[in-house]
Amino acid sequence: MFLTMLFALSLGVHAQAYCGEHQFDGEHKNEVSSYVMGGDNVVSGRFGGLAGSYTHHFTSRWHVGGDAQVQFYKQLYSIDVQGGYRVPVKYGHIYFDAKGLLNFYHRWGFTESIFNLSATWESAYVDIRLGESLIHFRSTSWGIKYGYTEPLTLTFGIGANIRHRSNPWNVGLFFRNYDEFYYENWNINWGIRFYAPLHRQLRLYGEFNVRPAGSISQLASRYEGSLKLGLKYKF
Amino acid sequence: MKTKYIIVAAGLAAVLLTHSSCEKVSPSGVLMAGTAVEDRVQMSEKYYKQYLVDYKLDADLMYKDGMDNKGEYTFLVGADSHLTTDPGRMDEMLQIGLDNDDLLYVHLGDIADTKPEYYIVLDSLLAQAKGRYVAKNYEVNEYGRFIYKRNPYDIMGEEYASIKYPFFPVVGNHDLTHNGWAMWCNIFGSSFYEFDVFVGDDEDTGKYNYDHFIFLDTASGTLGKTQIDLIEKGVLDGDVHYRHTFVFSHTNIFRPSALQFASTFAREETFFLLKQFEEWGADIVFCGHVHKWDEREYNKVTYLTLDSMSERNSPEPGDYLVRVHVLADGSITWERVHMSYVAKNA
Repeated sequence: MFLTMLFALSLGVHAQAYCGEHQFDGEHKNEVSSYVMGGDNVVSGRFGGLAGSYTHHFTSRWHVGGDAQVQFYKQLYSIDVQGGYRVPVKYGHIYFDAKGLLNFYHRWGFTESIFNLSATWESAYVDIRLGESLIHFRSTSWGIKYGYTEPLTLTFGIGANIRHRSNPWNVGLFFRNYDEFYYENWNINWGIRFYAPLHRQLRLYGEFNVRPAGSISQLASRYEGSLKLGLKYKF
Repeated sequence: MKTKYIIVAAGLAAVLLTHSSCEKVSPSGVLMAGTAVEDRVQMSEKYYKQYLVDYKLDADLMYKDGMDNKGEYTFLVGADSHLTTDPGRMDEMLQIGLDNDDLLYVHLGDIADTKPEYYIVLDSLLAQAKGRYVAKNYEVNEYGRFIYKRNPYDIMGEEYASIKYPFFPVVGNHDLTHNGWAMWCNIFGSSFYEFDVFVGDDEDTGKYNYDHFIFLDTASGTLGKTQIDLIEKGVLDGDVHYRHTFVFSHTNIFRPSALQFASTFAREETFFLLKQFEEWGADIVFCGHVHKWDEREYNKVTYLTLDSMSERNSPEPGDYLVRVHVLADGSITWERVHMSYVAKNA
């Protein structure tokens, strides 16, 4: 019943590499995925949400896609478009990705627009991402609107899997200063991710994500914990 | 294969730690055993309600050349002193404040580097500074009580111990390591508080005017659930309409440049705070933490991030302090204040 519900949500629009999901098999053209999430945030309290993603592969090298999410209680609504190019290298692949993201933090009356450029090296067991984000936010709840563009924000992430990326199921760990719908400075979120096959074209995936406040040197405190569980369908 | 399962086990252990009653999730947080923000705020709230909630400073008594200055006053702000065995810069800040007759002095956290001996040095320094402050501003009456020279109505005076030295700190992340909170709160009591400065009454309406000073505990990079709840309940709102509001936080809101990686607030909390500062009608928000000067304005609020005044981080003399002038006509100006102390072993 639960899986059926998840599959029903897959009608929406997958940006993030969930444990080696990047690599294109050269056969299918489209991917739709969707996940449900739940968590607890220091500022907004408990929240739930839905997200969906669509990716289209023009060739074995080029792809474009879009994502959207709704987080209830936090009143966060997000949408993005993205595209990327894959370069095979001796040990894995390097992906060059661009992403434009809009976030509406309705609860506090802020709109955030982000443009991110990243390069990701993905090998059999390890993936590393480096990039930069340009972040602009604007208050929308006051009579006069105030905008602010942050200095460039470094994007970095590292992930490791316990099995070779080509295995049908896998489990891994990640550390990064971004997530699908936000980019931050030195606030490193981390957690566990997995995927497992349900069918030749259907895969279950998810992650448990801990998002501390403050850097490690700052005696980071609990800021947000969340669980995502989703389905991905290739056709 | 064994290594892989060890990685997974480590991950699971980390997850369990995250959802245990201990709210600290970073590996260093677990190992270093700092006092968590929720505990600090709960302790601070009790202290604040018991000792500080009715505390008021009186700027209307700040006379210049024998004349009533109509509520005009100055205050001095410094950040990130990281005091060790050499308290030279901190001593200089307090002396600058005393020489200039600043109404109060604020420190933006990371006051000492959390070894017990550094706090003993700090405590001793503050005791000496209080002695100089009392010697300048009080006189002893025939009953051995201290009379505030600037208050012509003070005939009762007070005991030396009850004179509050006007030094107001916020707590920083370096104040927490190695159980530093125990030493910090033993000296300062509360990391979460507010108070009013009385600036006189309106000649036309007779209405009393106040300025508002708000101190936040942001040492962990988050206010934490308890502090957010207290703020949303209006605990720091005060009880009158304020002429000016000044807010003090260790963690900075805005990054000075792309190369400053010191952690700032997470997205939701940044937006929560920006909105809260607007609701408080803040004029200036003072921050430290990143050890880099920065000045920004957002939604009519000035954000000043101060450089570290530590002789170790900033060995050369420089403009590490900020003095705010609140003028009789209600306008505000500020200036950067030079420090010239150079470490003895430099």
